[in-house]
Parts: sequence; C-alpha cells; structure tokens
Amino acid sequence: MKDCWFPVGAADDIPSAPGRETLLMGEPIRLFRKAGQIQACDAEGRDLPVTVAYDHVWTSLGTPSQPIFAIPEAEEPGRRFVPCGHVRVACSPLRAVENFLDIAHFPFVHTDILGAEPHTEVYRYEVKIREEEDEVWATKVRFYQPQAAKAAEGGQEIEYMYRVPLPTASVLYKTCPSKPEAWDVIAIFVQPLTETTCVAWPWMALYDDTSSQADLVGFQQMIFLQDRAILENQVPALLPLDPGKEIPTRADMTSIAYRRWLKSHDYTYGAQLEAQ
Amino acid sequence: MTDTPRTPSQGTPPQWTPVALSRDLAPATAIPVIAEGTELALWRGRSGRLAAWHDRCPHRGMRLSQGFVRDDMLSCLYHGWRYDLEGQCRKIPAHPELEPNKAICVPAWSVTEATGIIWVSETGSGAPPDTGALAPLRSLTVERSEDALRDHLGDGVVIEFDGLHLLLQGLPQGRCVLHALTGPGLDAAGQRAASHRLEALRTRFEDSEDIA
Amino acid sequence: MKLYDWVLSPDCYKARLLAALTGQSLTTVATDVFPGKDHLTPAFRDMNPRATLPVLVAGDLVLTEVPAILIYLGGDWGGDNATERARQAEWLTFSQRLAGTLGLARRIDMMDAPGDLAQAQRDGTRLLRQLEARLFDRQTLGHAFLTGPAPTLADIACFPDVMLAPDGGVSLAPYAAIRAWSRAIRSLPGFIEMPGIPRLHELSPEPGA
Ligand code: FES
Ligand SMILES: [Fe+2]
Repeated sequence: MKDCWFPVGAADDIPSAPGRETLLMGEPIRLFRKAGQIQACDAEGRDLPVTVAYDHVWTSLGTPSQPIFAIPEAEEPGRRFVPCGHVRVACSPLRAVENFLDIAHFPFVHTDILGAEPHTEVYRYEVKIREEEDEVWATKVRFYQPQAAKAAEGGQEIEYMYRVPLPTASVLYKTCPSKPEAWDVIAIFVQPLTETTCVAWPWMALYDDTSSQADLVGFQQMIFLQDRAILENQVPALLPLDPGKEIPTRADMTSIAYRRWLKSHDYTYGAQLEAQ
Repeated sequence: MTDTPRTPSQGTPPQWTPVALSRDLAPATAIPVIAEGTELALWRGRSGRLAAWHDRCPHRGMRLSQGFVRDDMLSCLYHGWRYDLEGQCRKIPAHPELEPNKAICVPAWSVTEATGIIWVSETGSGAPPDTGALAPLRSLTVERSEDALRDHLGDGVVIEFDGLHLLLQGLPQGRCVLHALTGPGLDAAGQRAASHRLEALRTRFEDSEDIA
Repeated sequence: MKLYDWVLSPDCYKARLLAALTGQSLTTVATDVFPGKDHLTPAFRDMNPRATLPVLVAGDLVLTEVPAILIYLGGDWGGDNATERARQAEWLTFSQRLAGTLGLARRIDMMDAPGDLAQAQRDGTRLLRQLEARLFDRQTLGHAFLTGPAPTLADIACFPDVMLAPDGGVSLAPYAAIRAWSRAIRSLPGFIEMPGIPRLHELSPEPGA
C-alpha cells in the first residue's frame, strides 16, 4: 500500500518552503512550494514523488508504479470544480471510503436530503473488479432521494456508479439534475494519518450554472459531517477484512468487493485481520 | 495511594454493576454505559422494558447506544437495522421484504431494575444488592479510579459518606461513576442541597493528593 | 431578514434554530468560510469588521454578535421582566464560554484550527459539569429547560456547542440531565437539525407499522 498515491493537501494551499508538516501513514512529511513547484519530503529530507491532480496534491512513501488515476469526465468542458476543504476524522481511512460507497444509510444519516423513510430499499445492482484498470466498480445503483443535490427540487430516483481506483480514493457518478445525459462527479480523497485517523478531502466536478460556490461547498460539508458522526462511532475503528466479523447483505455488495480487493492487494493499512 | 492492585472480582461473585438510575433512562431511549470494562448499549422500550447489549451493531459496527427506539424495538442509527428486546434482528430496511436471518443477534447482558437503580451482569446469576428504602438522587463521574476511591471510602456495596449513600461503578482510564442515593422523603430543596454536597465531594476527591 | 450563514457553524445554527422554533423565515446566504475564506473578503469585512459568522441583516440593522442576534430574533422568548432577562443574559454569556472551549476543541480537532486541544477539552468539561448540575436542580423543580418552564434564549444559546462536544473529542455520556434536556429541545415542534445534531428518528412513525 506504501506505493500507492495518497492525497495530502489542497493544491492552492501549500506554503513556500519550509512549508507545512503533515502525517502520511504515521510518517511525518513536509509539503512546500519551491520555484513554483510543489514538493514533498519525509522526516529525513528525502524527496517524495509528487503529482497534482483534481485540485489536490498527492504523494507516496514508496514508488508508485502508475500515474494518478484518470477521471475523464472531469476533463469535459463546462464543469465546475469544487474542492470542499478537509475534515479530520477519528476512523480508519478504509472505513471512510467504505462509508462513501454505501447508499443504505441515506435515509437515516442524510435524512430528507439523500434519502428518507419509507424509501429505504436498495435494489439489485452490479459490482465487479475491472481487471484491466484494477478498480472496483458498482453500476446501475438506484436510490430514491428527496433532495438529490443543491440544484434538485423534489424527490426522484437517482442513478449512481461508484468506483474505487485507489485504496483511499473513490469517485461516484450520479444523475445530474440540470443535465440528465451527463453525470455529476463527486469524489472523496482520504489521507491516512494513522491507521485510525484520517483526513477526508471531498471534491466535485459538476454541471451547475446556478448554485453559488458556497452553496455547493456547504452542501457537501453538511453531508460529510453527517457521515463523520457515524464514522467516529464504528467499533472497532479498524476495518475488519475477514468475513464473519461483520454481517453484510446484498445491499453491501460494493463494500464486500472493496474489502476483497483490499485483501487481495494486501492493502491493509487501517484494516483488521484475523490474527488481531 | 495504593500499591496493591485490587481485582474488581475480589469479594463476592456474582457481579452486578449499577449502571444508571431509573430516572435517567426514560421510555424509548438508549444510552451508552460501561460495566467491567465492556461497552454496553442500555435501552428501554416504550413499554418500559430494558435491555443491555454489546454496544456494536453486527452489520457494520455502529454503536447501538446511538440508535433510536420505536415501540419495543431499537434501530441502529447507521442503516436502521431493527432489533427486538431479545437482541434479534427483525428488519433490514434496505430489504424491506426480507425476513432477517435468525443468526443476526446482538450479544446481551442480564439487566434488572430495583428501587430505582439499573444493574447489569454478564452472567445474570443471583440478584443485585438491595438498597432498601434509599432514594436515587443523581449519578456523576469522578476522574479517579474505583480502587483509589475505595481506598478512601472503604469497601461495601453502598458506602455512606457525608450524608450520602454511594454506589460505585468503575470505568476504564481511572474514572468512576458515583450513583448517589439519599434517605427517603427528601423534598426538592433537600435534593438540591444533596446534589451540591455531591458536587463538593467530587471536587474534594479530584483535588485530594491522597486519592491518585 | 438575511442571515449570512455557514452550515458547519454552531453559532449560525443558533440563529436558524431559534428562527425555526419561533416560526420566522430567514433568507440564508451561504458563506464559504472554509476553504473559501469568503468571510475575509473586503465586502464581508465592510459589513462585519470582526469577519465572523453569523451576520443578521434586517433593514438598516446589522448584528454580528450571537447574543444580540438571539435577542433580536427571540421576541417574547427573551423574557418579559428584568429578572428573567438577566437570568437569560447569564446563560448567553455562559454560551460564549462554551463556544470558546467546546467549540474551540471542535474546530481544532476537526479542522486544524490553532489552539491547545487538551486545554479546550478540560475547560469545556468544567462547563458541562456546571450545566449538568444546573439542569439537575431544574429537574427537582419539574422543569426541563434552563430558566423557565418553557425553552428560552438560554437553552438555544447553549444547546449547539454542547451537542457538538463529541466532534471535539468530549464525550457526553456522563451527563444524564444534559441528555434529558437535549431530548426536550429536539422534541420541540419546528426543531431543525445540523450535521452532528440529528433529529430524533423515534418521533417519526415506523414505516409499515
Ligand atoms: S451498522 Fe447498524 S444497521 Fe448498519
Ligand atoms: Fe453518507
């Protein structure tokens, strides 16, 4: 997992040298701007790889074998990019991603916004690991939403697709209220500080000409803070990877696939394994 | 200061731990409590019946003490899985038509309520101590361990101190709950005075060099 | 009336909650405090030199201090005699201390605000104990709220930072009277939630039951 890319900062908020300290997988690292370039180094001053993508700075304690994942939809003209700041959460970075992949909690955690009783049913959807890209994908996910996004009025059934390109990053595509033939892109980039603390950096790429930036950021912050109250109350804080520790149902197919994918790659920072 | 650690089970098994006063657990509410180091969700159905469970939803680990009670069922706040008083899962909202598997069940402790005090026990053998006609006043947490307080206050289930009758509930990390009872028949002003004495007692315990 | 509002701010929530409970409509203007720093723009500072949220604008009146906003929105919730008004003023001041301790702990823990987290948590815990003791006293009189038989500005001013204490790493588990008070407030007709302060789902019916 060391060789993966991880988000560590907002690209427009990196001070010039000596810069800013933060943690990545328990290791202190430093981010700074020098000669117009964003750079990163570890505690010994060793340079770390850096890439800037989707308004965020990504780095790695190892050697990433691939460039950062692509979000082709984000390149489409006419999209607005909405970085939503960051929030620290006392939970495993993997639990934060798994929560992002979950829709069954909408009626109870995002009540009257992303879901509402009695519309609690999760219909059958499709999940697979796309071998070529090595990503987890869930498609044809449908759920009833009373207020699907800032620009949405009234309830409607919304369609989603979810993908997990990195152990601590996920992108979701959902029906765009103002442009039904397109998808809104909403992502969560998670920085593992330690195995049980993380920083979430929500980010969006939307077609929306009417809402103010503050409205869009506020909407996403509200949603994420509602999730945070759940994430800090899951026991254990680590994500159990062995089946049997927790009981999933058909609605949790994405989560099951995510856990399997993590395990098959030995992406276990923030995970609980049998022996523990 | 004590150098000889005291085992909590020293003395008389079976163990019942006082975890709340009845007055502080209204019908259709759930609260988190800790007994013998185990985190429990203690809740009361609308009918008044009680249950005490491991504070962890079998689905995705959410603390059940954060859940909500409708009728005599506790629902988990995360995905709304609904459990009856026996701890059996009865409904999974994501699959409204599905009869939940019988194996989905939350481990429970024994819980009983007597003279205004709620007690829990892992084994449930025997009965909790009788506090007689004493009237429950209020509970408050002291930043001192049960052992340290007992060194100062003495052993025994109900400890009389400063005109108050105290039940101790040890918590992890050197904290302890005092459940305070008073003699019967105190009026409102008397109860407030007793509460203020209890506050003063806590200050004394926490300020004392002798109770570490 | 226009409220410059930030969804994560307990202070803004106080104004929205009081307006909702008293049946007044506010036009909210979302302000991107974080990460956008909208409150530091010259236009915002021109309106409020302290550069804080919320700001309430009603005609020529511009209010930037939370107690003032609550008094303005509160109407007859603010007390009809000097004794009651003074009692509430005590709690309005107390609520500012809550914001400076529990609220600060939350901003440090959640959003990396500068400050001493352990100190803020300790100071906040001291205030929670005071509030708990006071609410127990009120229970002996048969009252659920802080100054009278019904909720007042005192309750609304203190409620948000107390409820959000867990966001700053301060547990509310030890406080039975605070728990009962929070249920009483969340059960009020017209109650609205904020992230971290969910509604009581038990007040809605079980579907299909
Ligand atoms: S964690 Fe309890 S219902 Fe999902
Ligand atoms: Fe969510």
